Amino acid sequence: MKNKSRRQFVKTIAAAGAGVLAAPLVSAKTAVAAKFRGRRDRDMGMLYDATMCIGCRSCEVACKQANRKPTEYDADGIWDAPKDLSAKTLTLVKLYKDDTAQSFVKRQCMHCVDPACVSGCPTSAMVKQPNGAVTWNADACVGCRYCQMGCPFNIPKYEFDSAYGRIVKCELCANNGYLEKGFTACSKACPTGAILFGRQKELLRTAKERIRDNPGRYVEKIYGEWDSGGTGVLYLASVPFERLGFPELPEYSSARISEGIQHTIYQHMIAPILIYFGLAFVAFRNTRSAHKQKED
Amino acid sequence: MAHVNAKPLGGKIFTTPVLLLLAGAAIGVFFLSVRYAHGIGAVSNLSDYMPWGIWKVLNVIVGAALVCGGYACAFTVYVFNQGHYHRYVRPALLLSLLGYSFAGLSLFYDVGRYWGLFNFMIPKYWQANSVLFEVGLCVMTYICVLCLEIAPAIIEKFLHGDGRLAQLLYKFYRLLDRFLFLIISFGILLPTMHQSGLGGLAVVMGQKISPLWQSPLVSLHHLVSCIAMGYGCVIVTELMVSEDYKIESHLAILSKLAKVMSRFMFVFLVLRLSEVLRTGAILQAFTPSVDSLSFWAEMVLIFGSIWLVRNDAARIVPRNIFLGSCLTMAAGSLYRINVYIIGFHPAPNVSYFPSVPELSISLGMICLQLALFITIIKTFPIIALERR
Repeated sequence: MKNKSRRQFVKTIAAAGAGVLAAPLVSAKTAVAAKFRGRRDRDMGMLYDATMCIGCRSCEVACKQANRKPTEYDADGIWDAPKDLSAKTLTLVKLYKDDTAQSFVKRQCMHCVDPACVSGCPTSAMVKQPNGAVTWNADACVGCRYCQMGCPFNIPKYEFDSAYGRIVKCELCANNGYLEKGFTACSKACPTGAILFGRQKELLRTAKERIRDNPGRYVEKIYGEWDSGGTGVLYLASVPFERLGFPELPEYSSARISEGIQHTIYQHMIAPILIYFGLAFVAFRNTRSAHKQKED
Repeated sequence: MAHVNAKPLGGKIFTTPVLLLLAGAAIGVFFLSVRYAHGIGAVSNLSDYMPWGIWKVLNVIVGAALVCGGYACAFTVYVFNQGHYHRYVRPALLLSLLGYSFAGLSLFYDVGRYWGLFNFMIPKYWQANSVLFEVGLCVMTYICVLCLEIAPAIIEKFLHGDGRLAQLLYKFYRLLDRFLFLIISFGILLPTMHQSGLGGLAVVMGQKISPLWQSPLVSLHHLVSCIAMGYGCVIVTELMVSEDYKIESHLAILSKLAKVMSRFMFVFLVLRLSEVLRTGAILQAFTPSVDSLSFWAEMVLIFGSIWLVRNDAARIVPRNIFLGSCLTMAAGSLYRINVYIIGFHPAPNVSYFPSVPELSISLGMICLQLALFITIIKTFPIIALERR
C-alpha cells in the first residue's frame, strides 16, 4: 500500500511534467543537485548506527538536560517514559521487534538538506542554518503549524497544552551552544558510539565503509542519503527501514515541487503584473461602455 | 456603480433567527475564551500529527472558497461584460468581505502565536518560497480591496444631506467610481492567486496526502471549483433573500448563472477524474476505506450538482437551481476537507475528528457571520429591490 502510493506519487510528478505548470518538475532531481551542491561538504550532521545501539537511552536523558525539557511520566509516576516524540521529548529510542529480528531506532529531527518545514514557513521562523541545523525562531513564528503539515517525518511539535505554545524540535543543539563546541548532547552521551557527530560528507563515507566492510550486517541502504532530497541525520540498520517506521520518500523533497510551481508562476512577478494590466484594460473598457449606456 | 436600484431591506434587526444565530455565536465565544486561557489543546482534538483541523480547513480554506462569489461575479460582469448580472455583484461582494474577514479572524484563534500574525507585514520575515506566505499576504490585500469595492454601498447611505461630510463623501464616491476598474482588476487578480494558493498549500505535504487528491494540479482544482462554489453561494443567498422578502428573484438570470456554475463544475469533474485516471490513483477508490468512500461521495455530489441543472428545462425550476447550488457548495467543501483532513495520512493509524468545543467555535463564528450579513442587508443598500 505504501509502496504503491509512493510509486503513484512519483508517476504523478513525472507525468505532470508535460504541463506548462509542471515544467520545472521534470528537472526536480537536477534542481536539487544544483541548489544543494556543496552542502554535504559544509553541513554538520549525525550518523546513527542501529546495530551499535544498546537502547540505554542515555541520549534521551542528555537531550532533556541540554534542552531543559520536563519528564513525561508513565502511569506509576516514577519513570520518564515518553511513548513518542513530543513537545517535551525531542529524541527517543524505540524498539522494533518481530519473530526474527529486533532493532533499536533513535528518532529526532532529520535536519533535511532541503527541508519542507523551512520551505513552507510563511514568516521565516524555520531556518536552515549555514551549518546544516534546522532551527526555530520564536520571534518570527505565528504558530500556523504548516511546518508540521509539511514535514515528512512529523518532527516539529507544538505545545498544544499552553496558551502561548511554541514549536519544539531538535535543533542539532544549535540552540543550547553545544553545536558550536563541536558536539550534540546525544552524540556525546552515547556510550557505544552508535551516534556519530560530524561533517555529513565524512559521515556518509563512514557509513559506506561500514556497509562495505561488514557484509550481511546492514541492509544495503543508508537512510537519508537521498530520501526526501537527503537528510543531515543518516541511518544504518539491520532491519529494513520501513519496518522501523521510516516513510518511503522520493529522492527529492516535496519542497522542490512546491517551490518549482510557485516560482514558475510568480517569476519576477511578471505574470501577475501582466494579468493585472490586462484585466484593468478590459474592465476600463467595459465600465466605460456601461457608463455610456447609462447616459444615453 | 449604482446601476442597480439597491436599497436597504429594512425591518426589525433582532428577529428570532438573528437571536438564535447570536446565541450560537455566544457559545463559540465562550469556548474561545477557554482556548485563549488554556491553549488550543484544551478545546480541540488537534494533535502533532493532525495539526490542521476544522478551524483552518472549514473556516479558512472552505470558508474563503464559498464566499468567492465577489470574485466570480466581478469576473463575469467586468471582464465578460455581462452587465445583467450586476444586481448580484453587491450581495456577492458583501459575502466575500464578511467571509474573508472571518477567515482572517479565524486565524487569530487557529494559529498558536496569534500576536505573531503581524509578522506577515514585516518584510524581514517574508518568505517568498512559502505558499502560505503568498496566500496570507494576498488575502490581507484582498480584504482591503473588498472594503473599497463595497464602500459605495456604505457611502450611499450617508450621501443625503448638504453637510460638509456628505460633500466629502460624494467626492470620494465619484473618485471610487472613476477608478473602479483599477480596484476591480485587483479584485480579480488577487483571488485567482490566493484561491489557487489555498490548493497549492497541499503540494509541500507530498505523499502525506492520499494520491486520490495529491497532485501538482491541486491548485488548479481549487481554483476551478471555488468559482463554481462562489456562484452557488450567490444563487442560494439570492433565492433565500427573495423568498423571505417577496422580491422578484429574476429566475431567468439566476438560471443563466446556474448554467455557468455547472460548466465550471463540469470542468472540475473532468480535471479531477482525468487526474486520478492518469496517475492510476483511481484503483485506490475501489479498495474499501474511508478515503474511497469520501472520494465517491465527492464524485456523487459533483455529478449531482451538474445533473440538477443539466439543461434549460431543469434550470427553470427554482428548486433545481437551489439544490444544484447547494450540492455545488457541498461538493467543493467536501473536496477541500478530503484534501486536508480525510486524505491526510501523516502516519499509520492517525485519525482526527473535531471535538465539541472545537466545532462550537467553528459554527459559532459562522453564526456570527450570518447574523452580520442579515443585519447589513437590512441597513445598507446591498440587495436590488423590486417588490413582487
